[in-house]
Amino acid sequence: MDSTDIELRNATYGQFVELGRAPRAEEVARSIDRSEAEVGDGWRRLHDGHALVLDDAGEIRMANPFSAVMTPFRVEAAGKPWYANCAWDAFGIGAALQVDSVIDSECGDCHDPIRIHVRDGQPDDRDLVFHVLVPAVSWWQDIGFT
Amino acid sequence: MLLFRSEGHVNAWLAGRPPGATIPVTQLAELAAAWWGDRLDPDWRPHTREQNQAILDSLGLTGPFWALG
Repeated sequence: MDSTDIELRNATYGQFVELGRAPRAEEVARSIDRSEAEVGDGWRRLHDGHALVLDDAGEIRMANPFSAVMTPFRVEAAGKPWYANCAWDAFGIGAALQVDSVIDSECGDCHDPIRIHVRDGQPDDRDLVFHVLVPAVSWWQDIGFT
Repeated sequence: MLLFRSEGHVNAWLAGRPPGATIPVTQLAELAAAWWGDRLDPDWRPHTREQNQAILDSLGLTGPFWALG
């Protein structure tokens, strides 16, 4: 990953946070004075390097920990609503923004709602547990499933 | 990568399937802070596999299940 792609990656994340949603290629292109094709090609390299995840149409699907689509992991942080890709990422949004957050999700088994306030990195409900089914070596084989 | 009310709920959800790994939500919060905390830094650089493995190791997440590829 060279400095050009890192600049593109940082601009993409910056726009995601500013807009509160995944930016389109044209929006990122405008912000760093590149063509849409250059952004698309760069996003593909970043996808291949696991720095973000594209959907089948080449648009941003994940800029981890942020999700571009609705998920069962909703996060309120820095005055905006977000979606995370998984429970791990739900905690990651507050960590990345370096603010307190509120996570709304559900028990994977009984589907009872779960609300967690995270203050100074500490969850207020300390009885909950997190389960990861896929071994670390296979996380990127199917990141959507992971 | 899901949240559960308790280990009992994890076992009910697994319904006999082989388990992965279960950790307390407090440990998950620490993991997320270490893993994602630099994600918006202007000087962000990609984590190497060794850096990420060191994060897992530092939280006691060791052994074959937590070995990155």
